[in-house]
Amino acid sequence: MSGRLPGSLNAFIAEPVPATITGNRAQHLPMSAPVAAAPNGSIRGAIALEGISRVFGGGVIAVDQINLTIQPGEFFTLLGPSGCGKTTLLRMIAGFETPDAGRILISGREMQNVPAHLRAVNTVFQSYALFPHLSVAENIEFGLRMRRIARPERKLRVDRIMALLQIDAFARRNPAQLSGGQRQRVALARALVNEPDVVLLDEPLSALDAKLRAELQVELMRMQKRLGMTFVFVTHDQHEALVMSDRIAVMERGRLLQVGPVLDVYEQPRSVFVAEFLGQSNIWKFATHAGNVAQTPIGNLVVGAPIGTQRTAMIRPEKIWLYPEAEAPGDRPNLFPGTVREAIYQGASTHYHVELADGAMILALDTNNQAAERSWGPGEKLVLELKPGNIMLIDG
Amino acid sequence: MSSRLAPPIRRALLLSSMPVYLLLYAPLALIAIFSFAPAPGGQAASLHWYGALWHEPDVLAALRRSVMLALGSSIFGTGLGTLMGFGLSRFRSRARSGFAAAIPSLIIYTPIIMPSLVFGIADLIFFNLLHKATGLFAAGLLTMGIAHVTFQAPYVALVVFARMSGLDPNLFEASHDLYANGWQSFFHLTVPVIRPAIIGGFLLAFTLSIDDFTISYFTAGPGSTTLPIYIYSAVARKGVAPDINALATLMIATVIGTGLLQYLFTRQKERRPMPRAGD
Repeated sequence: MSGRLPGSLNAFIAEPVPATITGNRAQHLPMSAPVAAAPNGSIRGAIALEGISRVFGGGVIAVDQINLTIQPGEFFTLLGPSGCGKTTLLRMIAGFETPDAGRILISGREMQNVPAHLRAVNTVFQSYALFPHLSVAENIEFGLRMRRIARPERKLRVDRIMALLQIDAFARRNPAQLSGGQRQRVALARALVNEPDVVLLDEPLSALDAKLRAELQVELMRMQKRLGMTFVFVTHDQHEALVMSDRIAVMERGRLLQVGPVLDVYEQPRSVFVAEFLGQSNIWKFATHAGNVAQTPIGNLVVGAPIGTQRTAMIRPEKIWLYPEAEAPGDRPNLFPGTVREAIYQGASTHYHVELADGAMILALDTNNQAAERSWGPGEKLVLELKPGNIMLIDG
Repeated sequence: MSSRLAPPIRRALLLSSMPVYLLLYAPLALIAIFSFAPAPGGQAASLHWYGALWHEPDVLAALRRSVMLALGSSIFGTGLGTLMGFGLSRFRSRARSGFAAAIPSLIIYTPIIMPSLVFGIADLIFFNLLHKATGLFAAGLLTMGIAHVTFQAPYVALVVFARMSGLDPNLFEASHDLYANGWQSFFHLTVPVIRPAIIGGFLLAFTLSIDDFTISYFTAGPGSTTLPIYIYSAVARKGVAPDINALATLMIATVIGTGLLQYLFTRQKERRPMPRAGD
């Protein structure tokens, strides 16, 4: 069980998504004609933020001295709760807001004082912001028209992107006549058709229902990989961030708490906030330790690495091993007998809220591949094993 | 909301509203009925008095002046009002609270609430002074036109402002994001999107001008008699004559017609979302 979730995620991101994953829709996708691709080694599509700050009226610091580098062709996600400054940061890259301090480099050029219409950046808005007086095709054509690109080329590019996103069937329709999912695709097409260096997406999936959202997550990811454009994605949905991103940045109160590949941030959160915001976790503070044994509220915990200055231990629920009382291995460290207080069946897995001997609660997750042979109801006893290698140490 | 009221209460409300509608519309209906009075010596209802209007050069001249004044002032009033509404909606999006946020409504509503008598007298004194000082702006169609524009523009601004406030602010950002500079955004996004409001505002301005009496009366000069002023002086001179009924009925028809047109234009572009099944 240990490590399976992150492992499978990794494969999901690194390899092309097989057509079967999203059902028959994928098989109709034309697999040729990339709209744009940054040549290897080029800085086209690279973003560098240097000491970016933004203070709103009333002294509210929305973005606080952020330094960040985003690689060309990367799917980069800004993750954080509402009000953490992620949207403000995105709007500064787009040119809708001007930073009060710092530099923004897009494709190697300084951009913080360049107005939005002169930046090779396009945005997909949370509200889609489709022009109500224009048809779907005219909406998509808008950016090319403003740049005075010749009509034949405009038509060619609009047709190509509509085919790619499978919206050519309603090219003549008005945005008001489209469903949420269709509008989302039109908004994406309207950005992609310009072949920008960077595509900015501000919670573009939040207005859609769960099934459609899952479908579009995969589609968006595949589109980004095929076109090779840099995507900067803003979301407060940790699941979305895990599924789609190459790297993520977790933000809180205008600051970046942690930046890194999805797997690293999930497996090795550097703060309690990150551990709790991204996935679920059991967290204990400890004041004292002896060697690599932390003296926590639930008892002595043997951890895998030597303890330095860290004073917090964390383990993910899915990394806890569960045994029936009789089968518990007696000769290993970190075995905790307990009683199930709540068992929440979630289809593929079950969440157990287990009360330990001293009354402390711990959350453990068991996949249901063995449900027939092994499951516990409320009041039943079991033994939990917190393997030392699965316990992470966090500063603070 | 009315569906939540008990049926007897609903009936009582409906019943009590009837006299109000009666008082509102009966006089109008009465004038319309009287306008079809029989020709002198005749017995049956007739269109005689409508025909008679065409043979009165004073009426035709007043009509011509009224239409010219209404068209001319509406064009300027709509242009100014549109810019006003656009500017004020932009201003509002920057100041979200406090006194500054109330300024747009204040600027728009003050001229609308102001009694037209006050406006008329103020204009009279103002143009008089201006004329004495410069020799220009003699009382006449020009001063009337300027006065009309001043009360039309706030109404147009109100219509445009309402339309702008109902729009997703991201629309304007989206246009800039898609490489439109300020002018391109105004002409390719703002103007088409608020076009129904502009047309509606123009028609509203037209009706306001064509039937305005008070302000016109104070700013008019010799030889700039418009239809409402003509009617007033005719009634003062010889009482309500049958031809005046016909003239009044024509004005009522014009105003109602323009009002309907305006209603249709402001509604037309509001397309309802029609989500399709299957996606």
